[in-house]
Amino acid sequence: MRRRSEVRASISPGVRAGLIGGIALVYLAMVGMIEAFDDLLLIGEQVTLGLVLLAAPPFAAAFLAVRPRVVGGRVERPAPLSGLVIGVIAGGISGAVIAAWLLIVEAIGVERVRSVFVAVSPQLIEILTFGQGVAVGTLILLLGGMALGALGGVWRTLRHGLRLPLSVAVGAVLLMGLLQRIAPTILDELSVERDWLYSKVTFGLTWLGAVAVFVVTASVTAFVIDRRERAEARPPEAGTPQGRRATRTVLLLALALGLIVLPQLAGTIVSEILGSVGVYVLLALGLNIVTGYAGMLHLGFGAFFLIGAYSAALLTGANLVTAFGLVAPEFSAHLNFYVALPIVIAIGAVVGALLAAPVLRLRGDYLAIVTLAFGQIAAILVTSNWLQPITGGPQGLRDVTDAGLSGLSFRDPQDFYYLALAFCALAAYVSWRLASARTGRAWNAMREDEQVADAMGVNTPRYKLLAFAIGGAIGSVGGALFAVKVGTVQPGSFEILVSITTLAIVILGGLGSVPGVVVGALVLIGLPGLLSQFEEYRLLIYGGVLVAIMILRPQGLIPNVRRSRELQEDERTQDAWQQIFGEPEAEQEPAAEEAR
Amino acid sequence: MTPLLEVVGITKHFGGLYALAGLDLHVDEGEIVSVIGPNGAGKSTLFNVVTGLYEPDEGEVRFQAESIVGFRPNQITKLGVARTFQNVHLFPNMTVLENAMVGQHCRTRSGVFGAIFQTPSTRREEQLIRERAKAALGFFGPRLTGYRQEQPAFVLSYANRRRLEMARALATDPKLILLDEPTAGMNPRETLELRDHIVRMRDELGLTVLVIEHDMRVVKGVSDRVIACDYGRKIAEGTYEEVATDPQVIEAYLGTKAAG
Amino acid sequence: MGGKTLGRLERLPVRSIVLIALSAGVLVAVAYGSYKTLTLPAGERYSASAWRDFIVLGVAQGAVYALIALGYTLVYGILRMINFAHGEVFMAGAFGSYFFADAWSKSGFMNEQPWLSIVLLVLIAMIVSVAVAVLLERIAYRPLRGAPRLVPLITAIGASLFLQNTFRGLFGSQTRGYPKPTMLEGTWTILGIPVQKVQVLVLVVAAVAMVALTLFVARTKTGKSMRASAEDQEIASLMGINVDRVIVTTFIIGGMLAGIAGVLFALTFGNISYFMGFAPGITAFTAAVLGGIGSIAGAAIGGLMIGVLQSVGPALLLTGANVPSPFQLKDVVTFAILILVLIFRPGGILGTGDAEKV
Repeated sequence: MRRRSEVRASISPGVRAGLIGGIALVYLAMVGMIEAFDDLLLIGEQVTLGLVLLAAPPFAAAFLAVRPRVVGGRVERPAPLSGLVIGVIAGGISGAVIAAWLLIVEAIGVERVRSVFVAVSPQLIEILTFGQGVAVGTLILLLGGMALGALGGVWRTLRHGLRLPLSVAVGAVLLMGLLQRIAPTILDELSVERDWLYSKVTFGLTWLGAVAVFVVTASVTAFVIDRRERAEARPPEAGTPQGRRATRTVLLLALALGLIVLPQLAGTIVSEILGSVGVYVLLALGLNIVTGYAGMLHLGFGAFFLIGAYSAALLTGANLVTAFGLVAPEFSAHLNFYVALPIVIAIGAVVGALLAAPVLRLRGDYLAIVTLAFGQIAAILVTSNWLQPITGGPQGLRDVTDAGLSGLSFRDPQDFYYLALAFCALAAYVSWRLASARTGRAWNAMREDEQVADAMGVNTPRYKLLAFAIGGAIGSVGGALFAVKVGTVQPGSFEILVSITTLAIVILGGLGSVPGVVVGALVLIGLPGLLSQFEEYRLLIYGGVLVAIMILRPQGLIPNVRRSRELQEDERTQDAWQQIFGEPEAEQEPAAEEAR
Repeated sequence: MTPLLEVVGITKHFGGLYALAGLDLHVDEGEIVSVIGPNGAGKSTLFNVVTGLYEPDEGEVRFQAESIVGFRPNQITKLGVARTFQNVHLFPNMTVLENAMVGQHCRTRSGVFGAIFQTPSTRREEQLIRERAKAALGFFGPRLTGYRQEQPAFVLSYANRRRLEMARALATDPKLILLDEPTAGMNPRETLELRDHIVRMRDELGLTVLVIEHDMRVVKGVSDRVIACDYGRKIAEGTYEEVATDPQVIEAYLGTKAAG
Repeated sequence: MGGKTLGRLERLPVRSIVLIALSAGVLVAVAYGSYKTLTLPAGERYSASAWRDFIVLGVAQGAVYALIALGYTLVYGILRMINFAHGEVFMAGAFGSYFFADAWSKSGFMNEQPWLSIVLLVLIAMIVSVAVAVLLERIAYRPLRGAPRLVPLITAIGASLFLQNTFRGLFGSQTRGYPKPTMLEGTWTILGIPVQKVQVLVLVVAAVAMVALTLFVARTKTGKSMRASAEDQEIASLMGINVDRVIVTTFIIGGMLAGIAGVLFALTFGNISYFMGFAPGITAFTAAVLGGIGSIAGAAIGGLMIGVLQSVGPALLLTGANVPSPFQLKDVVTFAILILVLIFRPGGILGTGDAEKV
């Protein structure tokens, strides 16, 4: 029997987590996300995205409140019973908080609350009470919170080999639910029977489909984990270098094939979205060079988007939109898009370098603010009346070329996708080549320690300029493609939006990582594109993501730093490995020499 | 015969604090010179001034008879001066080999075009960089070779980090190498080993070495000449024996009573 | 073993050349623009009273910017970080007070008791702003205390986005009119210069706030702790100062000033929106940098200067040069000033002349 203070000590994280979870629930309700997301049916006719959002905080609170025990100096998994108890407490408190909030709102009167907090609507109350009225609803929230908390708490106590497959499976079901606009279309194109998986009525997964996805994913994950664990019982270099390269090439080819075939299968809407993703991938690859490789935070990258779009438009013969109709701009040319493109790239590079030149010696955060200022200046100038004869002011330009090529028009979403894909591949190739060359090494050294890189012979100002120039060039291509895709160039006030979105993509994906950039773009552009509910809350999510990533995982989703489990161990352990398992080419120090 | 490195009357102050107050020294080609002195005597500041991290307030620094005051650090490294740091400053997330390859940066030229199009000259140069980096790493024996070269630098043990930093400096193909307390934190065996490495740098690689050191066994074992500093200026110069018995030096280290 | 000599081209002081060219360019542009504006034919020229109005407006705006700038400078002084989300702290105060202002305006309370209303609104705004500021510090900044400098900056950007859109989600995206007591409508003539009554209020309140702050920092124990922590956090904590507490206090003070600024801004311009913190935020940051970031007097001076430059600058520099609608470009003036200050004198007017390099 444990002492009172011990019991209290183990319960209080549960209480705290519960309160935080409750506050999160109230926030999600009041900001309108629960109501907005409730439109999307994920599974059957019951599980909406709003419901998932409602269930997440109690579950997460419980999960995070349960801590591993330290027994006899070793860290152990917490006992299932304590997980259950703490979980129930945490989840219960979360439920209690939102229930209390509900009661308060009812007492004040929904309409009165709504006059201030616009998102608190009768529909929201309906959702929160599950349509059962306030009294029953409160009870459901409380009990539901406790149940979810129990689940979350116990989840934490499961062993890794069991928990990971289950978690991945849940994630997969969610993902399949979210992809309800793509996956069924693809399956239809492939003439695969899909009514058992996706319902034609709700557009979401069927219960049968959900269970199937769950079981399959869980099994596959468990299998992969088992294989991985067995491989780790063997020495570090599993598989010959040739073997690994072969598998990698096969995977890349499969990926390439998939990418090429995708628009045919997935339909026009998806191709359109993927086209936008492609534009942002280009922008993000450009920013990745400046911020990811060279380590300089750039908050005004949207300027290159504008430069690329306007240059492309003006060079290919777009017209100003004025009150009197369409007018030719002061400076314009009527070049073919592909002839104009090198010029656009050159302009992007030059402007990038020019903007950077005066501020190279600045410290990191001041440099960032200056880039922000430059971006804003570009945006204001482009929208101004002063430059209206060239840029069209607030109305912008129209009739941008469709980059036609031997009969193909790239205004069509599916064709544009290929155009974007080609340029993305090119930019990715350039990034990859630069990263592994002398230039990339200089950038990396500069990013890791600028003064020391200088001392080692790297001309840092020159390489900073180079990063800005190349990044700017690539970014401008993104802008140019966007102009082609949409056919008009209208700045709105969206330079800062583009800058922040691009930054969020690079940071989410992992600074310096090309695959990360692609994943980041898919998540941050693709998802809101697919689901209008996300579109509404896009910036809110971006903000939250940025903060969360910086606090929890600054290296992003797919980090650039090479880490694998054996590398995280230090030198001594590795040498011990080599001792036991031997390696033909390794030159190892006899263990005694390295004893320290 | 003009000295390889000449430092004449350099002064450097930060606010009211004078880190260097009229320091003179010179290093001839092929010498190993040690700089000793109590903490705060300005020794690391000397290195920072010589390598261009700071500009001196007064005085002159000449390398190969040419003034290098005002040059950027990377320019000075290109001229042939390399250095290590008192606190190890590696590039922690780059591999061991990459750290050394950065050293070769100032001796090579390939750029963006070559990297993207993989021109023959770029590929040859890249090969050359790898070989020279590996040679520099190999200077310290088998420790930094083999599979270890593909590991990120942060996994290295302390002594190996110091060695890597030196290898990186060696990879810049210098004429003069400045070592800032290279044996700090090493155990006796490693210290003696490093002492031999320093001599090898001169004998095998033809380098001139300027070393800041606290460990007198090392100073005694490597130095052709010893320079003692205190409060930012030179207080004694000569062979190890001469400097070790100099009363001013003893006073600086141990206080007046011991000198008296 | 080879070093080589440096080529002639490598030794060119490129940076100095670029800087000299840049400063020459700026001076020429300013001189040209001003000259052209002041020598416009009589019909197109700005009258003396127009210039006077510009300046008065500039000073009043500047006072608001100064209040916000103080928040930036205080936080930077201690944490060496740019609190990018401070603009949203300002916005939160304005928004928080809006609902009460709206209710009191409708019920007539605002016109019955104008002074009381204003005082209460300011208090409410301060409370809301302080709450947001403290939450920011606790949730977003404290976990990142030791991190490399760019990490808190990115976090601050994310927090700024998050706060903006939280307010948008909570209260809607439309711009709302901020009511003003009738007492504050109209102008007074002081020393022959017509000044809007609102502007007088702004100037008085801002002045009082800044004096109070200066006294606080100079005389009280907390103020001394703040100064000590700004100089050297480590030593301050060794001296027994609870640095965490000092940091929270700094955010609280910054929040209070931002809240006051929020109400003043809303009264002056008559409307609020979730996005209103962005431009004033950056402008106030520019003011802090211009005056010398980390210096309280600098923030005040910088604020006033930026206010006047924003107001007078476009008219003076651009009208003569035939730039249509010069006031569209007022933010360009601000940003240009920011960039130039950071290039030539990052320490600001009251700072040291030295650039603090990496």
